[in-house]
Amino acid sequence: MRVRIWGARGSIPAPGPDTARYGGNTSCVQVTLSDGNMLVLDAGSGIRDLGPSCGQAEKINILLTHLHLDHIQGLLFFAPFFRPDVEIVIWGPPAPGRSLRDRIARYLSAPLSPVEIRSLPAKVSFRKCPADEWEIGSARIRAAHVNHRGPTLGFRITEADASLCYLPDHEPALGMPLDHVEPDWISGFALAERCSLLMHDCQYADDEYPERVGWGHSRVSDALLFARRTEAEHVLLFHHDPLHTDGQLDLLLGRADEDWEGLGGSPGALAMAVEGAELELRATE
Amino acid sequence: MAIATEQKPIELILARSLLDALSTPGCLIDLEGGTLVYYNEAVGKLAGMSFEETGPMPVTEWTDTFGPFDDEGRRIPFDEHPLTVAVRGGRAGHFIQRFRTRDSTDFEVAVSAIPLVGTTGFQGALVFFWPAGAE
Repeated sequence: MRVRIWGARGSIPAPGPDTARYGGNTSCVQVTLSDGNMLVLDAGSGIRDLGPSCGQAEKINILLTHLHLDHIQGLLFFAPFFRPDVEIVIWGPPAPGRSLRDRIARYLSAPLSPVEIRSLPAKVSFRKCPADEWEIGSARIRAAHVNHRGPTLGFRITEADASLCYLPDHEPALGMPLDHVEPDWISGFALAERCSLLMHDCQYADDEYPERVGWGHSRVSDALLFARRTEAEHVLLFHHDPLHTDGQLDLLLGRADEDWEGLGGSPGALAMAVEGAELELRATE
Repeated sequence: MAIATEQKPIELILARSLLDALSTPGCLIDLEGGTLVYYNEAVGKLAGMSFEETGPMPVTEWTDTFGPFDDEGRRIPFDEHPLTVAVRGGRAGHFIQRFRTRDSTDFEVAVSAIPLVGTTGFQGALVFFWPAGAE
């Protein structure tokens, strides 16, 4: 499968010269399967740039981890919604009360939006992610609720022996000592276990975290510890804080590299997610 | 690579985090499997053991040692306990119960249990222990 990052920023888009290298668009990742099927992980502002690249795709699956604004704010600006010949399936987290469609319609309706869901030309449907693994094209998808504010999913996408784990908004260390708690008690562990690539929340520097405990995001050291415990093969630190400039992210990565080595991580297996980056995940031995 | 670990439901993970932050004795029970899934340090102090040492255990292992007991000192079977019945029925329950320490001293504790129901259904019970008859 091929993975392309269209947005790696958290909370709110952060455009400008200080964020140009890592990118300012909020969460959106395109996954192209070997059979040609396309999955889109989250619909942050990055999805706007993805739109023109979709060509004449007849069916697109959008998998939303949760409905916080930075993960859905690009929906209305995704060009395929305005093509009548395309089928778009939006998958999202099950939650008590209102349906997924109704919850998203709170954003895509007046007074917040000039266009409503029913006016979109595309054939749009909404589905709750099932509790059991399911298939889209040649991929098997597994979703699980993870620790973040509000109903939030993480995803594991497996094709042949290659697997991508996507946990953009995740605070597994909240009240849980990651270094010694049993694996089945760690939020997201099963999704990430021995995956080929883990994309994980790294929103806060360690010295910023104490003021933000419980906000649903990880400090870098917890993201690294989580990655080591789950034995993820490669790690992309994701969901950059909007206040973190390129220079600050460089510094964070420098420190993270040292910590990663200290934890016994493989050299070169850790990187910061960069908007526009493209990776090919291949089957591991 | 295959996944070897099955994650606990997020409701249980969050409940365990809460229990770890409380000084009130509390535990998590899987009512379907009859397992004491987790208990916090405050329960460990009362019972003279720690979760780190014991890990999860069948509820009967707990009840055989500590109770609860009825007024005549007979052990109340887990499945017949009013709290089990209430929570399995989707209701909260609160009862004063007689327990026994390891050195066979009986004492009364108020027990509250609430069902944990998540988006994928019933996940177990969150149980708290309070001093009975505290002024």
